[in-house]
Amino acid sequence: MPNPFADHEAALAACARGDGGALRALYDAESGSMLGLAMRLVRRRDVAQDVVQDAFVMIWRNANRFDPQKGSARAWMFAILRYRALNALRKSSREVELDEGAAEAVPDDAPDPQQALGQMQESAALRRCLEGLDEPRRKPILLAYLDGLTHIQIADRLAAPLGTIKSRIRLALRDLQECLQS
Amino acid sequence: MIPPEILSDPKERRALIGEYALGLLDEAEAAEVQALIDSDAAAERDYLFWSRHFLALADIVPAQQPAAELWARIEAETGLAARKAAASPALTERLWNSLGLWRIAAIGALAAALLVFVTPIFDRAPPTGGYVAVLQQPGESARPGWIVRVAADGGLSLSPLVDTAVPADRSVQFWTLVDPAQGPRSLGLVQPGGTVEIPADRIGPVIPGQLFELTLEPQGGSPGSRPTGPVLFIGRAVQVASN
Repeated sequence: MPNPFADHEAALAACARGDGGALRALYDAESGSMLGLAMRLVRRRDVAQDVVQDAFVMIWRNANRFDPQKGSARAWMFAILRYRALNALRKSSREVELDEGAAEAVPDDAPDPQQALGQMQESAALRRCLEGLDEPRRKPILLAYLDGLTHIQIADRLAAPLGTIKSRIRLALRDLQECLQS
Repeated sequence: MIPPEILSDPKERRALIGEYALGLLDEAEAAEVQALIDSDAAAERDYLFWSRHFLALADIVPAQQPAAELWARIEAETGLAARKAAASPALTERLWNSLGLWRIAAIGALAAALLVFVTPIFDRAPPTGGYVAVLQQPGESARPGWIVRVAADGGLSLSPLVDTAVPADRSVQFWTLVDPAQGPRSLGLVQPGGTVEIPADRIGPVIPGQLFELTLEPQGGSPGSRPTGPVLFIGRAVQVASN
């Protein structure tokens, strides 16, 4: 059956009117990508599936709050997904001593963030703008988005002082917004 | 506490919202930025600006196949499963038996009663007897969309109170239900934006509490004798006192 919704914005508007078929259309379109990102962030399939479930329930309940004048529906959906995933990640890192080794861990085969750039769509503005950053500014952004690391974890990973990392990220975001808006 | 000089500088503020979008802020700062996004349209735009550009990174992560039962879990938690169970297999039991819709219809009936008493503007041809039903969006008890009037002679008119947007490849169909055991009966397709008049012999006798609804159907209407699409508006008939 062809997707009756022209785009994610139309499907979200239908969700806001109580159309369950619209939620299913969004699920069919995005659940795989969302689960991929959630697994990359939380590293556990069972937790990642819970995250995707939470995200779709939130999408359904908050669909009437989305305003297409303010941004893209897909961006809004993934922002919800990532928010739920980071909550789960931070919660599980606090509980890790209690839970170590429990259930289906996902092997840590995530590619180095430096390779991420080469995999991005060539047409993506973010790729062009990240390429314009020097590595010390670029790498923390990738570690934060793709691996959900905190300032402290990034500082540990890159063996740099916390204050340095914080200011590099802030400067990187200043550079990126200028580049992305140009 | 986020320093005011960051919040007052648009570029610093946008960078801060970028940090929030990355998930880098601590709980207290994140709560402050979340409140800002919820209350300030420009901040919300900035948040969606970052979220949209970061999608290019999300898209390099390989997709994973969700377990088959994940959708069922989502359906259960959102209440869509209960709705689907009501819609099948016995279509006669569809939403007409759903408690929520009956409740909404009851509110609609109350609204119709109030409308009759306090707003004669909707009552240009005052019925001597007859019925009124205010059709509202499910879950939106304060949002009347269409009004049904059944005159004393049994003729029905259905008039829009709001614009109903309908995709070009869909139709809006009008239904009524007298007896849940018999199921809903189609009263034909409706062109949004115009009043529909239906003669008494097609309506049959109307009783208090009778349900009327508009559903979104494939172009040309439901392929069967039952609604298949989502309910756009629903309401219940109340008797109008003759005077």
